[in-house]
Amino acid sequence: MADGTNAKAKLGPIELEVITGSVRSTELEIEAAVERTSRSPMIRDQHDYRVALFDKRGRKLTGRSYSALVEPVFEYFKEGDIHEGDVFFWNDPYNSCGGIGHVPDLCTTVPIFHEGTLIGFSQVFGHHDDVGGSVPGSLPVNARDQWAEGLVIPPMKLYDKGVLNEGAYNIVFRNSRLGDHLRGDVDAEIGAAKLGSRRIVSMAERYGIEVLEAAFDAMIDNCAQTLRRELLPKIENGTYTWEDYIEFDGVDRDHPPHAFRVTMTKTEEKIVLDFTGTDDEADGPINWPIDYSDGVFIRKFMAPVLRSLADSPERAAEIDINEGCLDVLEVKFPEKGTLITPTFGKPTGMRFFLFLRVLGTFAGVLAKATKGHIPADHETIRIWGMHGGKTQEDFYLFREVLGGGAPGRPWADGSDVVHIVPNSRNLPVEFSETRFPIRIEQLALAQDSAGAGYRRGGFGYDKRVRSLRPSTLLSNADRSELSCVGVNGGQASGIYSATVQRGNGTEQACLGMSDDVKIAQGEIARIITNGGGGWGDPLAREMDLVAYDVTTGLVSEKSAREDYGVIVKKDGHQFAADATATNALRDEIRATRGPLPLYDRGPAFEKMKAEGKIKWPEGWTDPDEGWTAFDVNA
Amino acid sequence: MSLRIAIDTGGTFTDIVAINDKTGDQHVVKTPSTPSDPSVGLLNGVDKVLELAGMQGEDVMQLLHGSTTATNAVLEHKFEGLGLIVTKGFRHLIEIARQSVPDGYGNSLFWVKPPRLVPLHLVREAPGRLDHTGAELEELDEAATMESVDALIEQGVKCIGVCLLHSYAGNAHEERIGKLIAERYPDVFVSLSSRVLPEYREYERAMTTLIDVMVKPYCKTYLNRAGEAVRARAGDIPFLIMQSNGGVVKHETAGEKPVTMLLSGPAGGVLGAIHLSRLAGYNNILTLDVGGTSTDMSLVTDLKPAMTSQSMIEHYPVKTPMLDIVTVGTGGGSLAWIDDYQNLKVGPRSSGAVPGPICYSRGGDKPTVTDAAAVLGRLPKALVGGELQLDIETAAKAYDVLGERYNMSPEEVAAGVLEIATANMVHGIRQVTTTRGKDPSGYALVSFGGAGALFACDVAEFLDVTTVISPPNPGNLSAYGLHVCDVKQDYIRTLVRQQSTSDSAEIEANWAELEATGRRELIAEGVEEERVQLVRFADMRYVGEGHEVLVSIPEGTTGDAAIEQMWSEFHNVHFETFGFDYRDEQDVELVNLRVQAVGEANRPEIKLRENDGTQAAPTTTRQIYWAGQGWTECNIYDRTELALDQVVQGPTVIEEYGSTVVVPPTWSARTDKYGNLILEKNNG
Repeated sequence: MADGTNAKAKLGPIELEVITGSVRSTELEIEAAVERTSRSPMIRDQHDYRVALFDKRGRKLTGRSYSALVEPVFEYFKEGDIHEGDVFFWNDPYNSCGGIGHVPDLCTTVPIFHEGTLIGFSQVFGHHDDVGGSVPGSLPVNARDQWAEGLVIPPMKLYDKGVLNEGAYNIVFRNSRLGDHLRGDVDAEIGAAKLGSRRIVSMAERYGIEVLEAAFDAMIDNCAQTLRRELLPKIENGTYTWEDYIEFDGVDRDHPPHAFRVTMTKTEEKIVLDFTGTDDEADGPINWPIDYSDGVFIRKFMAPVLRSLADSPERAAEIDINEGCLDVLEVKFPEKGTLITPTFGKPTGMRFFLFLRVLGTFAGVLAKATKGHIPADHETIRIWGMHGGKTQEDFYLFREVLGGGAPGRPWADGSDVVHIVPNSRNLPVEFSETRFPIRIEQLALAQDSAGAGYRRGGFGYDKRVRSLRPSTLLSNADRSELSCVGVNGGQASGIYSATVQRGNGTEQACLGMSDDVKIAQGEIARIITNGGGGWGDPLAREMDLVAYDVTTGLVSEKSAREDYGVIVKKDGHQFAADATATNALRDEIRATRGPLPLYDRGPAFEKMKAEGKIKWPEGWTDPDEGWTAFDVNA
Repeated sequence: MSLRIAIDTGGTFTDIVAINDKTGDQHVVKTPSTPSDPSVGLLNGVDKVLELAGMQGEDVMQLLHGSTTATNAVLEHKFEGLGLIVTKGFRHLIEIARQSVPDGYGNSLFWVKPPRLVPLHLVREAPGRLDHTGAELEELDEAATMESVDALIEQGVKCIGVCLLHSYAGNAHEERIGKLIAERYPDVFVSLSSRVLPEYREYERAMTTLIDVMVKPYCKTYLNRAGEAVRARAGDIPFLIMQSNGGVVKHETAGEKPVTMLLSGPAGGVLGAIHLSRLAGYNNILTLDVGGTSTDMSLVTDLKPAMTSQSMIEHYPVKTPMLDIVTVGTGGGSLAWIDDYQNLKVGPRSSGAVPGPICYSRGGDKPTVTDAAAVLGRLPKALVGGELQLDIETAAKAYDVLGERYNMSPEEVAAGVLEIATANMVHGIRQVTTTRGKDPSGYALVSFGGAGALFACDVAEFLDVTTVISPPNPGNLSAYGLHVCDVKQDYIRTLVRQQSTSDSAEIEANWAELEATGRRELIAEGVEEERVQLVRFADMRYVGEGHEVLVSIPEGTTGDAAIEQMWSEFHNVHFETFGFDYRDEQDVELVNLRVQAVGEANRPEIKLRENDGTQAAPTTTRQIYWAGQGWTECNIYDRTELALDQVVQGPTVIEEYGSTVVVPPTWSARTDKYGNLILEKNNG
């Protein structure tokens, strides 16, 4: 071609498909580069990082995971102050337009230029091992302000036109207990973001900027169309409310549970989520400041829940959520001073409790508008561990992120012990025992931990670890009193627990948020994680499936009888359901139990409610009240 | 006794390439595969090629075989009768897996964990415990263990995998269980994890062991039956089986550890490509094997194929060393289709072998990639030497209809379909190159498979690759590649030791033991002792890292020299792979010792092309459509007529039996003395 390019003036289906495929493949390439070149185990092995590509206006193009935002680049720098070679950098939860929730998440953003013209942004942020603060790992469970949590970096240029700001660079790493790791991670993230920008430039070279930008528009529009045409019609128009709770803020044991509340208004065109009614900000680190930039962050974070409305899980997996979701999802925030609109400086380290609660609450409110056709609740991030040693030489930190059971959903039981972070992996027993002075006595699924249901939840862990040296227990967990909610007649899950089996034969229960319980040599810590909430009436569950769960030991005979109304009898190596006795028992339960509620929050919540500890703000009533389960085949 | 026969059994066809060791003559035939009993197709192939060569069974000196039997057994979910024995307290090992959810955020809500290979009621426990050094903490309770085994057998189990904690460090408990089962249940198939993969990480070891025992009944039975049939035809000749590590072993050996046969299919093509590229003078290549429904890609650096021990088959990890081959669901038979949102897609939906592309006139009525090539004039009027007449007119009508949807001409949309197919292949190559930290632009692209040469130059352009190699008989390269396979066996032992506290004598003793096993087993494979090469490797990392890099020790280096080399070389490899190292700063950890035992095969002689000075003239001319240039009258050449070193300028098409080489504008092609076409991007 005369001008040496394939540049065309107009976007056609070919260019759109190639560019869409390239953006997706580039996202994978950036992820691989982060994993290959970063240094800390949190990023390399637990995969706790996110990558994204954006157009020149900061609109998100990639769809696999949520991401931070580009908005701070526009908000904190003068117009025209974006240049080739710049690397933008921040972690400030109160100055990142809602894109960053806690300080261990350092975010790197690189502008992409083609022949001097800005065509997009490439971004990587990771959860880093340590950015200072009062405890190793920068997640103190009892922080009372942000300054206890580590170094805060407002949006800045780490590189300005390719020139490193060495002073800032050194300050950042000097403030980490693991400065070398942190430097390696940040360098890796910058390198990976740049790699991604090269792919976008090559698309601009191949098709021209005009076609490339038209393709970006079309990708975003495709997402909006998919949501609007395929998923929104599955939600009945109307206004619905729901809420869920965080049980403890790490600081005040006497405080009632902290509510996140939502009012959803669904019309033909869109969904509006109003968070008014959410409880006041907490003294401890469970706040999450997201009331910035029209809530674009939280909208993009919550929208993937809608994928669960697709016709099949296979179809759900195909749907990418990019900036197009903003077209159909709007949010409204309460005044400053709530859990999600905290005033400047409130601690935010454990914002991942709200993180899960927000997804679960969205699913929960959707249950009302979809005849219950949405997954129940799950709780799938548990940080726990043991550390010990007295000197720099013999100090060790055995820390792992344990998953929980996935929710029951109309199409399947919940998967057992999954972690919400995609591709994150647990630590093999053979690795842990080689590396740390521990012996793992049992790695199992916890019997009866899953919420019963027509489709039950997945099971949580029941892990028993013997400490071969004196050590200290560490546990960052919510849902140790309040269960994962069962939906549409499904039952609530079991709860999280951390106990120490003492040498004298006694058991000591520990708080979900603990970091000072001592364990003597030879004593055993036992961690049980939540199963998923159940979905649908357990009495409707096929009795053979219940009998099989009894055969495998995952469900006890007692639970089979009491929760599922199934009478089993041993038949060789397996249990079989006694159909006659089961039908009789199920009839009896149905006759006496009353209408099945749409939601089951578990016994601890019922008790709190009975004791008057649950109070609703003005304009609010109990959102569970009056809602009963739909037929599982509705 | 001069004929070597290589048989590559695919899903639809079995390819046979026989080479006469004395004359260098090659004989190539194809026969339908017989999936219900693959040995029938195998023997048909032998008979057919013998007939073609005019030779008898007693003339055969060696039979080489690549087979998809093991892979198909897994893909067809033949899971019945599989049981697992694990350490007490770990019965949920494979239910828990690695707790991971694939892909995107929100997937944990809707994603459904795939079925486990063994249902939970067929997982039973064995009381007894070792620590990570292999020391016994609690002795094996044999009575309780056999109660577990009895319970499995009573429930219909016929294949048992045994995976106990830390068995890589001490195999006594597993061996004992193996012996007890063999005594009580001699007909039950058993695989012990310490034999299949003595490497730490219990979940992956258990899965690899289960896959092994799961395919054993199929592979062992098949290979024994095929072995007997071969013996009946040709006497007691070596019958060698391709493994996924790119080496061959005797069929009896392969039957004992069939997990090593998984994915052996595509390995042959990669080895054939390496052989021909080496002759042609290229040491760094990318392979592009385009088949009917998919394309396989791999990376070869310094003539060494990239290896991986991270493979998955379906959802299940298989940790035995394999060639690092990535597959994308785009091939000649891939369909061009429109999704619910009017987006044009190419693959992974496919027309398959039946009904196939529209232009093959076998009932296909949906436009494929092959149809697009035909519509654009890239393909001749008839394929496979005239046997298959192409109905280009009907294909063009389908593209007419497709084009109308987008206000495009049929040729514009057909060219677009090829562009999308090309881009899909490019994404695959990125997975074996840039995602592994390698820049593809300095590599040559070797294309094969029936449709490889249709796409190779376009793929190369995307990647800034300027050289493409099209080997002779590209459709048979996988079978040909079997002829250049060495006998190869891998040995591994997990030995986690930190440099600061390690004992060199212990490491050396372990390495030497692996070498002794390798030497012994290769001699048993029929390799002469002086031809046995033993290469040491080690998997290593910095203390605290979660994954390892592979460090290789130069051949022949042993003792303290090898161990010093290992500790020192690690930092270099780490830097090359990840871009940083902590030399002198951080303690290094050895994780696995490995030995690869290789018995080099005799490479077949290739008849060299000679230059008789005559330049081939075009056989005809044809209108061909090129994106950005439109319809152009182009010369068409017959590949067999091209003279040595004759340069043909694009745009042109070079035709041969079974394949078509597209030389786009700005590319040229030249024939080398080995019969390769070397295509190069013109300067400027």
